[in-house]
Amino acid sequence: MENTYDVIIIGGGATGAGVARDCALRGIKALLLERSDISTGATGRNHGLLHSGARYAVTDHESAEECIRENMILRKIAAHCVEETDGLFISLPEDGLEYQAVFVEACRKAGIRADVLDPEEAKRLEPAANPALIGAVRVPDGAVDPFRLTASNVLDARAHGAEIRTYIEVKDFVWEQNRIVGVRAYDHRSHRDETFYAQVVVNAGGIWGHGIAAKAGITINMLPAKGALLIFGHRVNNLVLNRCRKPADADILVPGDTISLIGTTSSKVPYEEIDHMVITPEEVDLLLREGEKLSPQLAYTRILRAYAGVRPLVASDDDPSGRTVSRGIVLLDHAQRDGVEGFITITGGKLMTYRLMAEWATDLVCRKLGIDQPCRTAELPLPGSEESKQEAEKKNRRKPVTQRRSAISRHGALADRIDDRNSIQNSLVCECEEVSIGEVEYAMEHLSVNNLVDLRRRTRVGMGTCQGELCACRAAGLMGKKDPVCAKKAKADLVSFLNERWKGMAPIAWGDTLRESEYTTWVYESVCGLSDETKKSTAL
Amino acid sequence: MKFDTVIIGGGLAGMACGIRLAEAGRRCAIVSQGQSALHFSSGSFDLLSRLPDGTAVEDPIRGMAELAPVAPEHPYVRIGVERCGDYALQVPEMLRKAGIPVVGDCRKNHYRITPMGKAKATWLTMDAYLRAEEPGRLPFQKVCIVNVEGFLDFYPEFIAEEFRAYGVTSRFGSVNFPDLEKIRQNPSEMRSANIARVFDHERNLEALAVRIREVAADSEAVILPAILGIDRNDAFETLRKKVDMPLYLLPTLPPSIPGIKAQQALQARFRALGGEYFLGDSVLSADLENDRVKRVYTANHGDMPFEADSFVLATGSFFSKGLLASPDRIVEPVFDVDTLFTPDRSEWYTLHFFDKQNYQAFGVVTDASLRLFKEGRLIENLYGAGAGLAGFYPVQEGCGAGVSLLSAFYVADTILNSK
Repeated sequence: MENTYDVIIIGGGATGAGVARDCALRGIKALLLERSDISTGATGRNHGLLHSGARYAVTDHESAEECIRENMILRKIAAHCVEETDGLFISLPEDGLEYQAVFVEACRKAGIRADVLDPEEAKRLEPAANPALIGAVRVPDGAVDPFRLTASNVLDARAHGAEIRTYIEVKDFVWEQNRIVGVRAYDHRSHRDETFYAQVVVNAGGIWGHGIAAKAGITINMLPAKGALLIFGHRVNNLVLNRCRKPADADILVPGDTISLIGTTSSKVPYEEIDHMVITPEEVDLLLREGEKLSPQLAYTRILRAYAGVRPLVASDDDPSGRTVSRGIVLLDHAQRDGVEGFITITGGKLMTYRLMAEWATDLVCRKLGIDQPCRTAELPLPGSEESKQEAEKKNRRKPVTQRRSAISRHGALADRIDDRNSIQNSLVCECEEVSIGEVEYAMEHLSVNNLVDLRRRTRVGMGTCQGELCACRAAGLMGKKDPVCAKKAKADLVSFLNERWKGMAPIAWGDTLRESEYTTWVYESVCGLSDETKKSTAL
Repeated sequence: MKFDTVIIGGGLAGMACGIRLAEAGRRCAIVSQGQSALHFSSGSFDLLSRLPDGTAVEDPIRGMAELAPVAPEHPYVRIGVERCGDYALQVPEMLRKAGIPVVGDCRKNHYRITPMGKAKATWLTMDAYLRAEEPGRLPFQKVCIVNVEGFLDFYPEFIAEEFRAYGVTSRFGSVNFPDLEKIRQNPSEMRSANIARVFDHERNLEALAVRIREVAADSEAVILPAILGIDRNDAFETLRKKVDMPLYLLPTLPPSIPGIKAQQALQARFRALGGEYFLGDSVLSADLENDRVKRVYTANHGDMPFEADSFVLATGSFFSKGLLASPDRIVEPVFDVDTLFTPDRSEWYTLHFFDKQNYQAFGVVTDASLRLFKEGRLIENLYGAGAGLAGFYPVQEGCGAGVSLLSAFYVADTILNSK
């Protein structure tokens, strides 16, 4: 029967993509449905921290152990998504050194290497750290690019036969008595309804999993906890910086590619608001105030943008901050829990443990399908990480050096799929992030890019200091060119891209950010004559 | 150094003011950091395209008359509608004398065509650029849109899509030459100014003409992005003669060739009139005595101050750093004069990029003669002109160039009449 699969996975975050890959590798016919683009939820809205687990060592031993195990696995299987920076947990005079001893002990117990450093040595190692520090512990933290990680999982899932379909929103379930046998979904691009059938449906919707379960009449009491972050315009620190104290607001500064990130705040938000996160001036002020304690130079560093994610925590008590709730993985077999056959939910956890979550969920899927296949995702490298950087360098000799470097850092070994036959393909669309025409074309062709925001997630177009000042226009031009009939769509797309960027810039729009915004307004509204047509018609 | 007037800022407002003063025989200096909003000029000058409520304006002068009750701080209201009307009639002459021929009527907006094919109401458009009396009334039915291969700052497909709605059919043509390959060797070089340099060479202009005739086929006219004539002024005319069919330019994304050319032409005109233009210099501090500016000190001239009877602040808004935004206030960095803004940052913007944003109307506080204040006290010989003024929305109201030009003329006349 058409549209029939072994398993349907709802949600295209890291977890869903991980489940799709795991299933595909075990020979299970999988379909992943995502209502928007991949990595649009909490996956793409966090620190991008490759946790060593140290942060949880004192409060949550189990999470800490999971983290360090996955940390070591990701370094192997997702080398091109990971930066092995290491991290420092610094103690400031106001923190004292008492916590440090407890912390180091707990790290070691969880199997996390924790080296106590002399303050002077720590400052030499990380000149950006607050010079007032009185102690520091070095741990194997790092940085991970969640967009790349998820995209690689999707690529590999596809390569092994999974279908990944974006912009398809599950509206409700198809039942046979007490068994879910499929989903009815709406395609946001073709504007058509479609029905898909499978023996098992996996709810991997993150915080949205609450609503997905509700459509099956199942209550999962999730606690939406909003976490706001700021991105700085250049790479301030080379080691991840943490405060060595009980986890609190804004006490992690993570370097990643060309930028640094500070976060997060933590506040409970109503479930109804999770699609409309707004960063308040108070949150920005708090992040800056606390961030400056980790690295005083943040006070003078340009902020690129502010954003917030919603943690998919499963509520266990009335903690208003959502911080003492375990980050532990929650796997629910709704047959046992709620008497609904053919439906499971995988939630809780964190980006760091996405692979393990996928493994647990896929194990359960296998049991339900009567399949006996071992999980191989801890050993098989993801596409892009199969070969060394040196080999990738060799294969991409024809690319000019900046394009080569950027392409390899973003696509790893797959960089050689980016066309570099002539100078036009090597021309840059985005100067801040060094994205070539060839890379944009590759992303449009192979990485299921449907609009400019998707493109940004795959290539970093518009993520740099200018925040899409001119490159957005150029990329829109390329997309419009590909399908001239859709030139109108490309223009509308440009409008929504600019709106999306502005949402992240408005909370921090002073100084150079306001300058850039004024310039962008002039270029797009005045020179190009773009306006938000959709809004205008409703205003009149 | 002693001058009659020192103008700080060498953009459209600063130069228009300097030229008018110099034409009247005054000894003027312009101190310019270099980059101005002309860098992203569209090749047109807007006077007033929309009222603050969004209503489209056909007759800019009539539109100005409606500003007083709804936008009392608007520079046009300060200057007075009648005077604005007079100045608007004088601007084309000033531009023509500087070697910037323009077409347009301050009593009736026409339409310029953007790099994305949109029709925008405007006042004056430079010769050679495509314009329409009504949005859909283009001077052709079949047009060939030519672009340089790999040039990403111009959008033939978008333009064609807009033209289709007017019943105009477009065909595309692309050009590529060995000399263009050379600039492609450095992949960030495919920008308008670099391409224009390639076409400054006669042999490339000739090759372009040949290629245009090839691709134009049965088209009635040809459209090119503004990538002609950066170091020579006759490139467009030369090409038009070679092609021998109607040829129009459209603006591109920055850098704007028409903007760069206008900047050069105004600068040359100011110098020809005896003005002193200090490029790449910036004013660092000022001495004030008895509510008057006595002298200013610049980065390049150290302890050699610029003295003058009057000073004009034409440093622009945020882009040109005439205004600086900190998280809780708006500062004018040269004199620290009083600025108009709302202290609560959350009121500076909405979350929709294309909305009218309150910050766009922030600027320096003026009296009726556009003189500036410091800590509430009037500075008697310091005037403000251009984008740094408060009370208007240059983009949404389509009045940025007009405010710059008209406020410059007004300030110049006030200075001329004050002695």
